[in-house]
Amino acid sequence: MNPLLSFRDVSFGYGGDDIVRSASFDLEGGSCTALIGPNGAGKTTLLRLAAGTLQCRSGSVVLNGEQLHSLPLSRVARTVALVPQQLIVPFQFTVREVVEQGRTPYLSFLRGPMREDRVAVDRALELADVTGLQRRVFNELSGGERQRVKIALGLAQQPKLLLLDEPTQNLDIGRQVELIDLLHFLGAEGITIFSSIHDLQLLEGNFSSTILLSPDTTLMKGTPGEILKPAILEKAFNCPPRRHPLLIERPERHVKRAG
Amino acid sequence: MSLVIVLGIAFLVSLATGAVRIPATAMLAALFRGHPLSETQQIILLQVRLPRVLASGVVGAGLAISGLMFQGLFRNPMADPYVIGSSGGAVLGACIGIYFFSQISFFGFSAIALLAFAGSVITMVIVYLLARSSGGTNVVTLLLAGFAVSTMLGYSSYLFETLGANSGQNQTILLSWLHGVIGIPRWTQLTVSGVFLVVASVLAMPMMRRLNTLALGDEYAHQLGLRVEYTRIGIILTGSLLTAVAVSLGGLISFAGLIVPHVARLLLGPDHVRLLPVTALSGAIFLVIADTLARSILAPTEIPVGILMAFLGGPFFLYLLRKTKRSYTL
Repeated sequence: MNPLLSFRDVSFGYGGDDIVRSASFDLEGGSCTALIGPNGAGKTTLLRLAAGTLQCRSGSVVLNGEQLHSLPLSRVARTVALVPQQLIVPFQFTVREVVEQGRTPYLSFLRGPMREDRVAVDRALELADVTGLQRRVFNELSGGERQRVKIALGLAQQPKLLLLDEPTQNLDIGRQVELIDLLHFLGAEGITIFSSIHDLQLLEGNFSSTILLSPDTTLMKGTPGEILKPAILEKAFNCPPRRHPLLIERPERHVKRAG
Repeated sequence: MSLVIVLGIAFLVSLATGAVRIPATAMLAALFRGHPLSETQQIILLQVRLPRVLASGVVGAGLAISGLMFQGLFRNPMADPYVIGSSGGAVLGACIGIYFFSQISFFGFSAIALLAFAGSVITMVIVYLLARSSGGTNVVTLLLAGFAVSTMLGYSSYLFETLGANSGQNQTILLSWLHGVIGIPRWTQLTVSGVFLVVASVLAMPMMRRLNTLALGDEYAHQLGLRVEYTRIGIILTGSLLTAVAVSLGGLISFAGLIVPHVARLLLGPDHVRLLPVTALSGAIFLVIADTLARSILAPTEIPVGILMAFLGGPFFLYLLRKTKRSYTL
């Protein structure tokens, strides 16, 4: 089976030095992959390349066996959705109005939203568990609620691949667990998940594979257990040995998620 | 729907008001029951008041819709065709037309009108490029760029006034434009403007949904499959066309394009699709009333409606600036 998304020798930089250097990896359909790495390693850039908002300088991004940059924008947007770290909405748009924008790739110049679009929006709100918030004003929500609404916006695109940029950032542990549960749920719905994440403790038991991006080494891919080794992390994150709980070797790690 | 009724009432009241009062009941009777008005009344009504009232309706709707579009485009409630210099550009374009090309016309459009449109588009593009930064616009940059550009344009129009001091008629037209006077347009001019208003409003309809998408930011809109550049160009062209229509009838009228969409948004929420018809009608109502006030407050002296709007709109704008400072972080 073809991978859903593959990076083949992708390089990209914003003018100066390349941030992403000849990255190659595959994302299998139905997988749940975490993207980790130190600040500034290019995690957000990599996600934007995967969503097609940025075009790689060399190499190619392949979606479902086709070159991403040669596909029409709206077709990419029906397959891939990117949930950004920050979503700044001017004016007092309600949650529902924001989520409705996720239907944009399905509309054309003359075709406005129809019944199936309303159904899709309802479904997205329900999946992200924000149906109760739909009449609230987006700008007045808490961080955790906003995060869920952003995911609902992505889900309204009915994507096969959902990209998330630091979804657990600024969330308290309770909201983090809720969010991880949501990702599990979406995975069970058949949506492939690729998420950058800073909180390494959330990896095991929740993600089927991990990609480590680091400025000095080549990209590594493996199961969370294979990547979360003190020797690897110390080098990738440039952290002095044994100064963080994750950097202390333990014979067996069973961080199973409750529930 | 109720707005249509309000607009009708505003029209009637405005038609009735003036040096010669023509009771609204008499007009309705003439219209529906065939009781003819006296000849004087007919002349006043058909040749003086009706064109003017219709013109103020067109101007109001045009300014309000273009204000709505520019506010959506800039993702910023402070944008308005006057504030960001679009009206100024149209006036300057029209000035050039009046002084150099007043006899020329292309396919029935006078060079004056075409230049007004071009002036408006060019100004918008300049201000937009100056004010834009990372997917949104900074309020301060937008206002400063708009202020600088519209001041420059305003004074270069005065320069034309000085240069063309010998041609009396042109000067009157120019002055009335700079002060924002809705004169008594000829019926042909009114028809052309009305057609353009309708065309531009129809063009604006499919753009409203895109303005909602653009509200999420350029990058997000792009990621959703929207062709951001084309959409922006379409919005700028349509908004400028509406501005040019309004300016060609009423000159520089400040703040109408700011207040109407803003109040509509407070009442109805920010969904542009719903706002378009409401904004258009309220804009027309608003300016019909404003123009009626402008010509009757100090009767028989007329205040240019542009000046009245500056007095009404200025404080509102300042209030908005104060409020914006708190609720939108820059």
